[in-house]
Amino acid sequence: MNVYAETIVYLIMAVVSLLSVVAVYLAIVERDLIKAVIYSALQSGFYAVLYYLLMAPDIVLVYLPVAVGLIPGVLIVLISKTERWEKE
Amino acid sequence: MDAEFINTYLLLVTLTSLLANAIISIYGLFFKPHYTKKVIALTILSDTMNTFAIYLGYRTWVNGVNPRPPVLTSTPTEKSISEFTARAVDPLPQALVLTAVVIGLAVTLFLVFLGYILYTHYKTLDMREIKKLKG
Amino acid sequence: MRRITELAVIISLILGVSVLLVLAASILIPGVEVRQLAFFYLYTTINPWFQNYTVNSPEAVTAIVWDYRGLDTLFETSVFYLALIAGLALARGLFSETLQGSFNEKTSGLSTIVKTVTRVTAPMIIAVGASIGLHGHLTPGGGFQGGATIAVIPLVFIVVYSAFFLIARGVTSNKMLVLRSIGLLGIGFISIATFLIGLAIGRFAYVFQNMPKPGAIVGLPADINGALISGTLWFFNLFEMIAVAAGFTIAFIILLLAGRGGSGGR
Repeated sequence: MNVYAETIVYLIMAVVSLLSVVAVYLAIVERDLIKAVIYSALQSGFYAVLYYLLMAPDIVLVYLPVAVGLIPGVLIVLISKTERWEKE
Repeated sequence: MDAEFINTYLLLVTLTSLLANAIISIYGLFFKPHYTKKVIALTILSDTMNTFAIYLGYRTWVNGVNPRPPVLTSTPTEKSISEFTARAVDPLPQALVLTAVVIGLAVTLFLVFLGYILYTHYKTLDMREIKKLKG
Repeated sequence: MRRITELAVIISLILGVSVLLVLAASILIPGVEVRQLAFFYLYTTINPWFQNYTVNSPEAVTAIVWDYRGLDTLFETSVFYLALIAGLALARGLFSETLQGSFNEKTSGLSTIVKTVTRVTAPMIIAVGASIGLHGHLTPGGGFQGGATIAVIPLVFIVVYSAFFLIARGVTSNKMLVLRSIGLLGIGFISIATFLIGLAIGRFAYVFQNMPKPGAIVGLPADINGALISGTLWFFNLFEMIAVAAGFTIAFIILLLAGRGGSGGR
């Protein structure tokens, strides 16, 4: 076995977590709500990669349809029936 | 820099960024005035707490061999079961997080219905204005 | 520009705090051994020499969800059901499922390319969801996973065609309520199945029991002709998949129809 395999897996985990922090920050400060929902779905995608690296395949199979498909779908329907822009 | 320091550092970068996610989403839940933004921040917060719980079940690498998911893939003999328990990840936090994800989804669905009812009643979803109106 | 500065501050704070935390690291790093309880679950999940405690299912997470901690899952299903009923009660009187005016199928909805792609991939998604749901006791999967995957289909159909397309084809919220009730009744019946078998034979048996236990030697079979079904786990997965998919369909139909005509509501 390669002696650097452990470091490479931990490095991918750290990079994915840092990218998810960027996505969460952009989702909270964005004032156009459609873009905020898309950033939140992007953060859920990064979390799904993190769950796979933490050896939890059941959670990946629940989390991908729920947090990348159903929750943004329902939130976009709510935004289309109410307001789209957040006031200052 | 030996390999152990780098491995510990990278694991702690993961933990600290999860903590930063939780703090940013709590800030968004309290200080942003729009209802939909609060719902988004609540989903991010509950997902981050679930990730903390799954991280608690992880195991270190022993002799360069990675830990495995808690699924037995070969026929059960004495030797394969003892190898399985020596390398598999803790299955109990995963079962609890499964329940938590479904309950979070049900609560989010209910909050979306409630947000629509609020809009038809008050004609706005800005929480500061609703607070001024007093029903 | 201000956002990039704030992002850079946050990321450098994370990297800096991690250096500090390395010194306090021994409590935050995962250990070499699992805990005693996890060792028990991993050791007895499929173990032919341990007939009093085993579940006969090689998938430890599904065994914990439906057998070792089955009562948690039963009450979580009821919490989900209650949230759905609360949403239905809030939206009562806000919509009507009958269409005012005429409905032209050719011109409503999105373009033809999207409609054709949706029609081709919908059976594939249902097949994948059913496979994930029914193999939950052998590989990672189970009732929730399969039900959530199948529930994507009504959302896509309602957005691409329209909600009245589904209602005209017979997928109304009443029929979905019937399906959901069938799923919940199935779960309730399977959970007392061993108890009823014990009553019929004349032996002592617990409610929510799967395999024979010491003092209550009644149980459902672990395999049928060599194919592993692990007692009650396969049936629980099947009914949970039906219940979850039907519940989400009701929520989507009601959410997307809300606001269209209030006087003809139910």
